[in-house]
Amino acid sequence: MTTATTDQAMLCDGILRPGNTNCAGCGMSLGHQWLEQGLEGAKLTLCIPACCGIVAAGAFPTSAYGVPTIACTFASAAAVASGVAAVRQLNHEDDLTVCWTGDGGTYDIGIATLSAAAERNEDLIYICYDNEIYGNTGGQRSSATPQWVKTSTTVEGKAEPKKDIMAIMAAHRIPYAATLSLAHRDDFLRKIRTAQKTRGFRFLLMLSPCPTGWKSEAADSVDLVDTAVRCGLFPLYEVFDGRRYRINARPDGTPLENYISRQRRYRSETLDLDAMKREVDAQWAYLNTVARTFPAREGE
Amino acid sequence: MGREFLEGNEAIARGAMKARCDFFAGYPITPASSILHYMLELVPAIGGTAIQAEDEIASIGFCIGAAMAGRKAMTATSGPGISLYSENIGLAQIGETPLVIVNVQRQGPATGSATKGAEGDIQFTRWVTSGGLPVIALSPATVGEAYELTYRAFNLAEQYRSPVFVLTSKEIGVTRESVDLDAIELPPLVERKRVGDDEEYLPHRFDRPADVPAMSDFGGAHIARYTTSTHDQAAYLTAKPAVIQEMIDHYTAKIDAVADDIALVKRDFQESAETLIISYGITSRSAAVAVREARARGARVSSLVLQTLWPVPQRAILAALDGIRRVIVPEMNMGQYRLEIERLAPTGVAVIGVNKMNTTLISPAEIQRTGGLL
Repeated sequence: MTTATTDQAMLCDGILRPGNTNCAGCGMSLGHQWLEQGLEGAKLTLCIPACCGIVAAGAFPTSAYGVPTIACTFASAAAVASGVAAVRQLNHEDDLTVCWTGDGGTYDIGIATLSAAAERNEDLIYICYDNEIYGNTGGQRSSATPQWVKTSTTVEGKAEPKKDIMAIMAAHRIPYAATLSLAHRDDFLRKIRTAQKTRGFRFLLMLSPCPTGWKSEAADSVDLVDTAVRCGLFPLYEVFDGRRYRINARPDGTPLENYISRQRRYRSETLDLDAMKREVDAQWAYLNTVARTFPAREGE
Repeated sequence: MGREFLEGNEAIARGAMKARCDFFAGYPITPASSILHYMLELVPAIGGTAIQAEDEIASIGFCIGAAMAGRKAMTATSGPGISLYSENIGLAQIGETPLVIVNVQRQGPATGSATKGAEGDIQFTRWVTSGGLPVIALSPATVGEAYELTYRAFNLAEQYRSPVFVLTSKEIGVTRESVDLDAIELPPLVERKRVGDDEEYLPHRFDRPADVPAMSDFGGAHIARYTTSTHDQAAYLTAKPAVIQEMIDHYTAKIDAVADDIALVKRDFQESAETLIISYGITSRSAAVAVREARARGARVSSLVLQTLWPVPQRAILAALDGIRRVIVPEMNMGQYRLEIERLAPTGVAVIGVNKMNTTLISPAEIQRTGGLL
């Protein structure tokens, strides 16, 4: 008779234990580590809907999340998390409830429960690791997929622009919304801490490279996020109470080509680089205007 | 075209195109996603529309809208998606919407094993939505049958103004086989009955309960009405118990009355056999091997393979049971269709289930061992 033994090294503390099944270069792996570092040991419960994040848990004992984790159905992460958060409140516990979801579960199938939880201002942190694709089911487009990008369901390049989820969430007037860059660690950790000390619904959007779907080199992932920030495609900013804005980093003139040339998903006949530049400029004109007109308060 | 090396999901897409499906909507889900991919390629090429929806509620919603506006519509998903389809399947029943719904089954419940096979949605398909009205469901066992039964599903949907399920599984959906689709014999294409532009139109007109009402496309000559609430033949809401019952009797009768006409079964009977294996889906292929091997050892055993699961092909099953003392029902679930066989089997006939639901296929040896054929 053999007895199953547990390698204690596998059960070390940590949100994502070693030996997980994530692809090389997956933004989620680094995101989990920085989330943990930002929270500095705070107790939390994870709610993860159907997405690569569920697969990452792997099969015991090769890997599993080192915190209580509910792997729930695709459409219901924010609802399940609302239930968890409600019990925390009833029990007078200050444990954090954290949704960790992909873009499909955020922008598409999960947006009804996300919107409702935000409208109720549930006391939870909702983090979307946005790899701009259904990475877990064969690389289909989501409404987070940027225009012109080739996916298995947009073989000639996506016709529609990416949905502006930050604007949607800000319109719910939630206490805190921010974008997270895997190339800006201090900014990332500060925003995690801000989210931690804020009460009510907090929404964090993390651009999460997916070398499999983006058709990029795994070693390029962090640099790709850095380039996305520098060329203006992925603005780093925070929104307080849905109305007051703070921009954390501005484009430095890095050409868009530096970002798209290293991802074969952008090699589509339909790619219109000039239109892409105009779109980035328009987004920054808008962001600059609102941030100037409705700035964040000192100390926020 | 000759022989091709196709997976079941592609055969389903090709069967749909053969039936002139010109609307498809689906949402990514393993192991059904490649049907979405194929349809996105094939449907626009004939001037139709294929859409990736934002979730499963939207997928079937798209299809209902398109079907009522005159298109031949199909959607495809797996267990978690069928769960989300549920309310809209009820809408398709109460609104009498021709619609093909493919379920590439995977191990459930819930997310289950996304990449592992199962045939666990058999009774779920029958009772898929509130109200418990009858459904039509076909179950292929091979890539070729996936093509044929998808084509036939469109015919049934149009003929009976009903949602029709094609119940396949991961094993059939994403396994490739050599098949010559052109060599498969198909019945003539059926198109829905439409009311003439100058004729009077009631959305749910019938004289006898089993009549199938003629349709008028939304946006056509008539003021078409469609409602998810209880309604009369004119699709006006009603709270009159007698009218509501009359409509329920109609929805039920139009399927039940034709149950034996739309029964598709494959028979492999042996004279004076007292053992019968009743199977369906991928498991029927193990059953075929079990029968062959048992006969080689001198056993007398018959086989009945069901391609129509719902409504129950009652007459075919009763005929097959003639002279039988033992029925073996192998299923990749905990005994769902066995309930129907137990209901039909005469007193004294033993009904033996061979059941497994651990994502692996049932082997011929398991059928023989549990079924007492060794």
